[in-house]
Amino acid sequence: MTLAEMQFQTPELRLASAEIFMLVMACLILMLDLFVKDRKRTVTFVATQLTLVGAAVVTFATTSGDIGYTFSNMYVGDLLGDVLKLLLYLTVIVVLFYSRGYILERPQMARGEYYALTLFATLGMMVMISANHFLTVYLGLELLSLSLYAMVAMNRDSVPATEAAMKYFVLGALASGLLLYGMSMIYGATGTLEITAVAERLYMGQVDRGILVFGLVFLVSGIAFKLGVVPFHMWIPDVYHGAPTAVTLFIATAPKLAAFAIVVRMLVNGLIVMAPDWQMMLILLSVLSMAIGNIAAIAQTNLKRMLAYSAISHMGFMLLGMVTGVANGDARFALNAYSSSMFYVVTYVLTSAGTFGMILLLARGGLESDELEDLKGLNKRSPWFAAMMMMMMFSMAGIPFFVGFFAKFSVLQAVVAAGYLWLALVAVFFSLIGCFYYLRVVKIMYFDQPTNSLPIIAPLDMKILMSANGLAVALLGIFPQALMSICAFALLRSL
Amino acid sequence: MTDCRRPTASGKDRYNRASGALLDDPDNAFLDEACVNSSLLLAAIPATAFATFSLPLLVQRCGRAAATLAAATVMATCLALLLPLAPAAFAGHSEVARLAWLPGYGLDLSLRLDGLGLLFCLLILGIGLLVVLYAFYYLPTSDRLGRFYSILLLFMAAMLGIVLSENLLLLLIFWELTSVSSFLLVAYRSDKYESRIGARMALAVTGGGGLALFAGIVLLGHIAGSFELTVILAAGEQIRAHALYAPALILILIGAFTKSAQFPFHFWLPSAMAAPTPVSAYLHSATMVKAGVFLLARLYPALGSSDLWFWMVGGSGAMTLVYAAATALFRNDIKGLLAYSTISHLGLITLLFGLDTPLSVVAGIFHIINHAIFKASLFMAAGVIDHECGTRDMRRVNGMFRVMPITATLAIIAAGSMAGVPLLNGFLSKEMFFAETISYPQFEPLGWALPLFATIAGMLAVAYSSRFIHDVFFNGEPIDLPRQPHEPPRWMRAPIELLVLLCLLVGIFPGWTVGPLLAAAAGATLQAPLPDFHLALWHGFNKPLLMSTLALAGGVLIYALRRPLFAWQAHLPPLHPRTAFERFYRALAAGARRTLAVLDNGSLQRYSALLVSFIVLLGGWAFVSGPSADVRLPGQPADEAAVGALLVLLLGALGATALYRERLLAVILVSVVGLVVTLIFIRLSAPDLALTQLAVEMGTIILLLLVLYYLPPRSAPRSSARRLSRDLLLALLAGGGLGLVTLQMLASPFETMSGFYLQQSLPGGGGANVVNVILVDFRGFDTLGEITVLAMVGLAAHALLDRLVLLAPQHDADGRPWAAEAHPLFLSMLMRPLLPLSLTVSVYLFLRGHNVPGGGFVAGLITSVALVMQYLANGIAFAQPRMPRHAVRLLALGLFLAAGIGLTSWLFGRPFLTSAHGHVQLPLIGDLELASAMVFDLGVYVVVVTVVLTVLAGLGSLSLRARSQIEEV
Repeated sequence: MTLAEMQFQTPELRLASAEIFMLVMACLILMLDLFVKDRKRTVTFVATQLTLVGAAVVTFATTSGDIGYTFSNMYVGDLLGDVLKLLLYLTVIVVLFYSRGYILERPQMARGEYYALTLFATLGMMVMISANHFLTVYLGLELLSLSLYAMVAMNRDSVPATEAAMKYFVLGALASGLLLYGMSMIYGATGTLEITAVAERLYMGQVDRGILVFGLVFLVSGIAFKLGVVPFHMWIPDVYHGAPTAVTLFIATAPKLAAFAIVVRMLVNGLIVMAPDWQMMLILLSVLSMAIGNIAAIAQTNLKRMLAYSAISHMGFMLLGMVTGVANGDARFALNAYSSSMFYVVTYVLTSAGTFGMILLLARGGLESDELEDLKGLNKRSPWFAAMMMMMMFSMAGIPFFVGFFAKFSVLQAVVAAGYLWLALVAVFFSLIGCFYYLRVVKIMYFDQPTNSLPIIAPLDMKILMSANGLAVALLGIFPQALMSICAFALLRSL
Repeated sequence: MTDCRRPTASGKDRYNRASGALLDDPDNAFLDEACVNSSLLLAAIPATAFATFSLPLLVQRCGRAAATLAAATVMATCLALLLPLAPAAFAGHSEVARLAWLPGYGLDLSLRLDGLGLLFCLLILGIGLLVVLYAFYYLPTSDRLGRFYSILLLFMAAMLGIVLSENLLLLLIFWELTSVSSFLLVAYRSDKYESRIGARMALAVTGGGGLALFAGIVLLGHIAGSFELTVILAAGEQIRAHALYAPALILILIGAFTKSAQFPFHFWLPSAMAAPTPVSAYLHSATMVKAGVFLLARLYPALGSSDLWFWMVGGSGAMTLVYAAATALFRNDIKGLLAYSTISHLGLITLLFGLDTPLSVVAGIFHIINHAIFKASLFMAAGVIDHECGTRDMRRVNGMFRVMPITATLAIIAAGSMAGVPLLNGFLSKEMFFAETISYPQFEPLGWALPLFATIAGMLAVAYSSRFIHDVFFNGEPIDLPRQPHEPPRWMRAPIELLVLLCLLVGIFPGWTVGPLLAAAAGATLQAPLPDFHLALWHGFNKPLLMSTLALAGGVLIYALRRPLFAWQAHLPPLHPRTAFERFYRALAAGARRTLAVLDNGSLQRYSALLVSFIVLLGGWAFVSGPSADVRLPGQPADEAAVGALLVLLLGALGATALYRERLLAVILVSVVGLVVTLIFIRLSAPDLALTQLAVEMGTIILLLLVLYYLPPRSAPRSSARRLSRDLLLALLAGGGLGLVTLQMLASPFETMSGFYLQQSLPGGGGANVVNVILVDFRGFDTLGEITVLAMVGLAAHALLDRLVLLAPQHDADGRPWAAEAHPLFLSMLMRPLLPLSLTVSVYLFLRGHNVPGGGFVAGLITSVALVMQYLANGIAFAQPRMPRHAVRLLALGLFLAAGIGLTSWLFGRPFLTSAHGHVQLPLIGDLELASAMVFDLGVYVVVVTVVLTVLAGLGSLSLRARSQIEEV
């Protein structure tokens, strides 16, 4: 290498313009907030929402549909990234609307940092989504994780929240270490960390396979931790339960999209040649997650904790799509399989947002309303919201005419097409167990006597949003084709 | 997007042979024209049902009658839409309408109406109308009925969906919808415990069966290549020959058996009888439980005709038939008796399908019709009795014939049909069943067994029917009834009257009444020419008649012997699959809790242990499965000094771990580790690293000692030996594994970039010390980032420590007071002259840094250590006023220097942080090479000094402040 080769080149900034915009705006909002005197931080809130909308506009305007690399190939702009980012903005916007009332009732949380951290976390996820380099993935991941640790501990006086943050931090640091270690192994085996270059070298066979398998183990472990699948799931119940519900809502939704993205980037884009190895690991993780997630959820009395285990099982189910892309060296089904996973994640995020949104809606006067008991007789207090919640539960359980059914269906169909019949049966069996606790929620809402008969008061925007969310779950259940096509098309143009 | 299907070739044949001509010749031109219209009509049936199911809820404010009328109107509309399509279905056509939905997954909104679908539609809508009328009288007047009818209509819509689906996935969706809506119907009286339990169990069993069915259908679609019935029904041979036939069949049968309450999934049905009686009459006799047998009929051409089919379907059906009939006899609750009799009759139908001959299938279809008619009327009659008496216990409800003679007569006729008494419809299908058992070909050596079995089942049916008739309507006086019974309202009885009339009509004139419908349905089921059969009351004296006679006589005899039988039954151990279900349910919950106790105990240590164990497992797997790892040790021989140093390092690390409870000792041992590392760096010719490490080590130890001060004097309780050994094992495995992997990595050949830096350092960066040139020049941007982070840490420490007040303890762990003399005179006097010396060293290191070991970072560390020593020796009171005060400003200055010099390169048209260098002759010092990077290094220096001072002095001053406060108190 000569000095001339080290010359600094101006990167193509257009591809990363949304990230740049987000970074600048997040810093500006952090500073702007110093001058906001209003206790409700309305200015900060509005600016944050506008930033997200602005980022959506930027992303939309710069979408070309082609694959482009920038920052010395560390960064990729493609349709998959753009679609996921647009969904991400939408999710974060919805999350912020849902959380607004909740955090206003908690002085510790109603601060500008909450919004700035949300934006930084979003930026981290955007970087993860568009990474074409293992270190870029790591960078985004850490930006996300660090923001999340702080957000979990945002309500400093709450003992469960700080404990949860502590656990999350310690385990998260361990997992980040694993991921980084795995990356270093991959570097050792292939001599590069650029995802597309890794794929190329693997394809050419110029690698040390022994080290690569080790690297893969650590890489998959790190990813598994971020996805929250068994046995790397321990943080999920504690964090979901302990964190303020607004933060739980955030953790339970948007990062799943980014986690899916890094699975695609690292395992599919980079290590597809190693698919037989990582598919085997993912099968193990997936089956364990579905088993433990669903069984443990039954024993829960706290709604957030139950949903945490449900999240574990859902992520396990989502992984099923990822393990069936390559069967016996044949990648014919890959697109179908991965797009089914993507559809699963997107619909899960949609449903999860509504479910946690409902917990936020029920929380009042600074008190949580996250025990299953709190849902007793919801139908008598508000038939409309009970119906919305019922739709969410039905969708999560995978009952037909709700979008969750098609998500499960498309993944299962990919599993069967790849010839993993036993896996499909296992998945169906555990989904059946899963139905049990979702339907218990429905039963509690409809058949139990309410313990408090206060009517539910919610701001209009929340009511509208919650209804829209519920209806989306129902409507997408009747017309899932459009979203499915978007997922498939985005992947088709990006793989 | 509609698609019309021509009549199948055999359609006309079938119809002609079966029932005589209705349509002379299918006029193709007429069909083409009518095709679009009929597709629309077909789609309109479920569409109407789904669109209007909430109508009763909307109009219930206008009164109960309005809700009832709305429900009836919806059903009648559907029926009206169906009628124009009926002639084609009678003629053996399969009308198919299709709308693309999810073409990628083979899921279309496609509907199909053929004879079988028509039969079920008629049952669903016809009996539905009667139930609507009946429920109006049955349910209490306080109930506004809107909710009831809406759920009922939703259920009806889902049922219509099942029987009209052309696509199996669509069928499955409707199937699950019936489970859910029936859950709501069974739990309609949600205040009753039995309702909730019954509803939950029904949902769990049928919902679970639905999922099995889902898996089965996915498999079937995979085998046949399509989910469309037209394709699947035509691919019977291919499906049966496929390797996945058995799992697909078993899964689908689980779905069908759970829905139709076949053994061993029958237990939910009696529990679901907690539902209001109209619901039982509708769901549990005529429609929902028939969905399972409908599925058997529907898929018969694809799945039937195999040994597995015979044994599974026939076996389960036979088992259910006899077991449920015997159980029915012992039930004291009228609805319980009817529930088990329903299960038994469903078993009979299932057995008929299992016998797997065309005629047995016809008989099965026929019995579906007959059973729906007589059982619905019986349930309604039972409801009337319940409604009038307030109880359904047959030990108390006696002698009703005198109280309500008309209802009693109707119920007796219906029960006669259930028992298979001649002149009634039940007799006809039962005769066909008997005939089939006799002529069944495949069972040669045991040819007598099946007829015997059938006769016993017949006897039991007669016995429980007799018990129903005799106990309820005769058998002395009623005992202790909650209400005074009398005849029900005129219109409440009307549905029963109509159904019983049908029983008689079908029983006496079968060919005229159900002949065409049966032929069309059976033809559609078989998808092949119909066998010869004659619907007639009288077939002459033959074996089936003999069996019927035997069954009648035997049944009456069994009933006559009921007292000893009941006494015997009371001694049997209670065996209820229902309790087994409950036990399973509890075991599942207990298992979940136990799993949780292990995995989710809230302990971070447990979590990390699990995480690390799994990593070790995965790593071990990778080690075993990967290509043989051949670890080549590096070629250099180990020298004594290095080995000795490593041993000290190891001992230090081990000591620190073992003595972690003795914190002071542990800190000292940690510093040993740090020093050995420094020595190793020197040994490996890395003086820069060694210098930095040494300076960092000192700062760290001071920091640790300061922090120790704030820790509680007593550490956490000692872990158990088991836990310690677990952790030790995990640590050994994980650490050993990582070490091995690292060794393997290091042993493999690699290229480094060092050559580039070594070559370019002097010409490109103007410095001979490559490390420093990398830091301030080549990777100056990184360093700028790093010092920015460092500055932020300093800021954060400043913000955290500035106002924090912690009270320091007065005594140490052993109760000894802290030394009164904080700053020994000797120490402070010794330290003061050291300061200028240290500062000189740091300036020296700073200036020479570009060419020989040194640089801004090390210089900064040495300066800060020197300053901190003044704090330590002389105390805050002495040192604080002599130190620069504005930490924040200093940090800004450092960053400004570093970034500013970078920016100036822009003035010269060079990229950010380009370095310039040249030589200056200074008096005394001589030739000095100066690089612009030095200013950058100065920035690094300032930031490092400020941060270290802020942190250490902040922590130190706090302790003093706290102590002085205590002293003041």
